[in-house]
Amino acid sequence: MNIKTNNPEKNELAITALYEVMDPEIDLNIVDLGLVYETDFKEESNDVIVIMTLTTRFCPMGESIVESATQAMQQSFPEDKIQVKLSFEPPWDQSMISEAGQSFLNT
Amino acid sequence: MIVAGTNSAIKNTSYKVVLPFYGYAALSFLIATILILTNTTAFTQHYFNPPTLAITHTMALGWGTMIILGASHQLFPVMIEGKLHSNLLAYLSFVFAAIGIPLLVFAFYEFNMGVVAMIGAILINLSVISYLANLWLSIYHSKSRNVHAVFAFTSVLYLFMTTLLGLLLVWNFSTNVLSQSSIDFLSLHAHLGIIGWFLLMIIGVGSRLIPMFLISKYENQKRLWLVYVLINLGLISFIIMFFLSVKVELYFIPIVLIGLSVILFGNHIYWSYTKRIRKKVDEQVKISILSVALTIVPVIVLIAIIIMFATVSSSQLVMLYGFTIFFGWITTIILGMTFKTLPFIVWNRVYSRIAGLGKTPNPKELFNNKIFIMNGVVYLVGFIIFGLGIVLTNVLLLNIGAVFLLITAVLYNFNVFKILFHKAKLNEYKNK
Repeated sequence: MNIKTNNPEKNELAITALYEVMDPEIDLNIVDLGLVYETDFKEESNDVIVIMTLTTRFCPMGESIVESATQAMQQSFPEDKIQVKLSFEPPWDQSMISEAGQSFLNT
Repeated sequence: MIVAGTNSAIKNTSYKVVLPFYGYAALSFLIATILILTNTTAFTQHYFNPPTLAITHTMALGWGTMIILGASHQLFPVMIEGKLHSNLLAYLSFVFAAIGIPLLVFAFYEFNMGVVAMIGAILINLSVISYLANLWLSIYHSKSRNVHAVFAFTSVLYLFMTTLLGLLLVWNFSTNVLSQSSIDFLSLHAHLGIIGWFLLMIIGVGSRLIPMFLISKYENQKRLWLVYVLINLGLISFIIMFFLSVKVELYFIPIVLIGLSVILFGNHIYWSYTKRIRKKVDEQVKISILSVALTIVPVIVLIAIIIMFATVSSSQLVMLYGFTIFFGWITTIILGMTFKTLPFIVWNRVYSRIAGLGKTPNPKELFNNKIFIMNGVVYLVGFIIFGLGIVLTNVLLLNIGAVFLLITAVLYNFNVFKILFHKAKLNEYKNK
């Protein structure tokens, strides 16, 4: 798991929140699945930007995953404006799954 | 890092477009099994008879084609990594087919190939044209070109050739528009549909989805291109041989080419399965993999037909061939893939806007898994008994098999409509 951030302390809280967001098809959280790329905390504007990906473009579950991530972040950062943005650079592949995720899928 | 600022890559095809196809297909399957149960003796006769024609077209168009059209409107964006061009064209595709199919089936059942049959056939062609235009425009506006999309688009071209020839065959019953009788063109019409439409589309979609569901590390685009070339060579050589009226033994050439492509595709799925990261494979994917294995059965029956035709004509083997295709291979993949796609489409419709506000059910909980498993068992029993009934021309076995197939359709419809009418259960889950 290698999530880029500009605020390690808040990033811990963000990751804890995003652990609760599941990919409904795989039944694994989006952090262990390797979908979360970056968190960006803008102190001056209270904006929190999460940059994440999907296992494939136009993933049929994409809308609900992004919505869940937004809701989870909003509950952890109620005073901030949350933006969840998608990036497909680099595209997701299986090597991005964490060890815990690999272990879950292997059982 | 390039960021998609508007999150445009999550805008999916409207569920309103997709869901009617699933409901329609489920009801068509039910109607087909009722027609089978009430016409079992038709399966002891020559395959060209009104009930068999009506059942075949209910299965090929109402069941197989409608569900593939529905699912592909949803999945095509994943394959081409671009939006579906038009929801309106998708609606039109549904409406034209939904009216046209029962008209054509009714005309076959009554064997009145007049105006009703013509209108039915014209509407089905309009549906295919709408679908073809939608796919073409979607691909045109997409930046991604890949083997799966090429499979899918080529298959729709063959579907159009199939339905266009079908229209000419219907017309030919009342006016001589073709050089020969409509019956002489049946094998061409059938194989354009079976190989060109169903086989290409199922391999195109299956080669993308099955490894995706397994989270497989295996990828072999070259092999899939080879499969694509072999199927097209097989089908084109078959078309040429058909018009040249060659010796029946020469038909081994397209059979070997297509049989080889099926073996290569089966091997592709085998390696995807072996190199999967996700060890626990759910029943829906297992059934889909079983259908890949079942693809070889019609090929074996076809080889038997060629050998038999060289010695003695066997109408029952031709009947068995059609049965193993529509009730074996195509039905198996639909029974599996319906419950791997439909629950997620409905789940997304019901829960996407309220996702994250509380605990939601898993998409797999939208249908009854026990009924799903029972469905698979009843289906396999029905398929085997009915198949034996065809080979042995035994009406008792045909009746028993038909009852099992009808139960399969009832159980399938129960689960499909349970999913389609699912209402949000957020609060219930919130309190757990």
